[in-house]
Amino acid sequence: MPEKIFAAVSEKEVTRAIVGGFAKQFIEYVESDCLIIGGGPSGLMAGRDLALKGLKILIIERNNYIGGGFWIGGYLMNKVTVREPGQKILEELGIPYEEVTPGLFVADGPHACSKLIAAACDAGVKFANMTIFDDVILREGNRVCGAVVNWTPVQALPREITCVDPIALEAKIVVDSTGHDACVVRKLEERGILKTSGYGAMWVEQSEDLVVEHTGEVHPGLIVTGMAVATTYGLPRMGPTFGAMLLSGRKGAQIILKKMNKD
Amino acid sequence: MDHLIDRIPLRFEIYEEGDISIVNLNKLKKYVQETTGIEIFLRGNIYENISMDQVQTIAQKMAQLRIKDPEKEFLNKTPLKGEVTYEEERISDQKWKSFGILYEGILYQKHLADFPLKKKLNERYCSILITNQLVGTWDQNDHRYHIRTSIYGSPHIISVPGLVLAPAKPREFYIKRQMGVPVEILKEEYKGRFLEHGDLRTTEILKGYLIQALFYDLIGNPFCDDSDCRLFNSHWQEEMLHAQLDGKYEFCSKHEALLKKIRNTNKEVQSLKMV
Repeated sequence: MPEKIFAAVSEKEVTRAIVGGFAKQFIEYVESDCLIIGGGPSGLMAGRDLALKGLKILIIERNNYIGGGFWIGGYLMNKVTVREPGQKILEELGIPYEEVTPGLFVADGPHACSKLIAAACDAGVKFANMTIFDDVILREGNRVCGAVVNWTPVQALPREITCVDPIALEAKIVVDSTGHDACVVRKLEERGILKTSGYGAMWVEQSEDLVVEHTGEVHPGLIVTGMAVATTYGLPRMGPTFGAMLLSGRKGAQIILKKMNKD
Repeated sequence: MDHLIDRIPLRFEIYEEGDISIVNLNKLKKYVQETTGIEIFLRGNIYENISMDQVQTIAQKMAQLRIKDPEKEFLNKTPLKGEVTYEEERISDQKWKSFGILYEGILYQKHLADFPLKKKLNERYCSILITNQLVGTWDQNDHRYHIRTSIYGSPHIISVPGLVLAPAKPREFYIKRQMGVPVEILKEEYKGRFLEHGDLRTTEILKGYLIQALFYDLIGNPFCDDSDCRLFNSHWQEEMLHAQLDGKYEFCSKHEALLKKIRNTNKEVQSLKMV
């Protein structure tokens, strides 16, 4: 009789490990320094930089997978491009890349994305995936100080089942890194608190700079990064080049650190 | 014609906005002086020496001039905080590089006249702002905004990125782009047939636009119907490159004669001053 490879563990112990581990982390992160909505490249980058400075970071992601669109480039092809100086971040994260033309660099999407996720995890970022943003928590002066979330599959339930209430997570700062949807900013717009512009359609060449330059606090307590910046300010749409996402995430983190006097 | 002589500007005043390092201003200065005989002064950045209060006022106004949808005659009456912050940073950094926001050109011009150039404009000067930003005007015919290379008035605005983006590229360029051919490949295929950002031909092309500004002040019409004349109102890149770089002559005979008259008048004025 050959020796068993794995230790003997019963089903109930596996279940206890999952529930216990999840609950412990979730209880701890019901309140965080910074709640990042959207686990794409800008959210991951912001989270990683903030966690490296010792902040308690939770990233909410509606999908099962983290990384957003960073797995693939244009036309579903898995090569991602960045323009100078975006390659410096690739270097920092240990992502191999090649220079295609002066100032334009290409990397493997899966390699780049997995390294960025790993870097965020290594820095101490925690995730709540399959979790969808539902609403904002507002305090005095309409300051954003948290988010109301639910399981993503709840959305797919029949209308008759209406009793699946969401829960609330509090944070000192919330980041909207939900891409073109700009879900958090849109929620403030729905409430008549601010007015966005929707994204433009012109001058792709210029959009990367503009996204980074417009990254910042759009409303007290709410920082906007990545493509959500383009939607918020009506900036031109961007092509499949990710340098602005990484740099926007980094700039968002710098602004948050400054606000928290941690820079 | 005597009226024309009365309207000859005493001087050109050139202001800069943002990073226009691709433009050789000294070369432009020499050209304008030789072509017109009128003195020209390079005044530097339009936002030089303005106070923090003025930065905030100007930024607030600039943020209101953003055109979000070129198909709507829309003004951004209540800009977001981030838009105002962006403008503050842009105004404060005299070598600001990025562009891509389209501003309402007529109001932009008025705003420049009301604020940073308030005490500097003079009806006897031909004041020109060379900007690295994009300005557009509403077209009543097709009911949409169009990017402009220049907006003449007080001050005249000449947009460096406008030279690249306003006149249309070859028609086939757009057809192929719609068919999905990547822009980089098209740029290579049509290389030389349109101006690009950072193009070394920019200074040479700008010469004609400065003279257009002068004619706007002189006779109210900066343009000429002759496609070989630098005053031709180019709607296509190839027209612009032809008129500014390889036309049969620099100016048509009518405009050349007017320029000669201006030069001679200035010479006479100078000699009288000497006496």
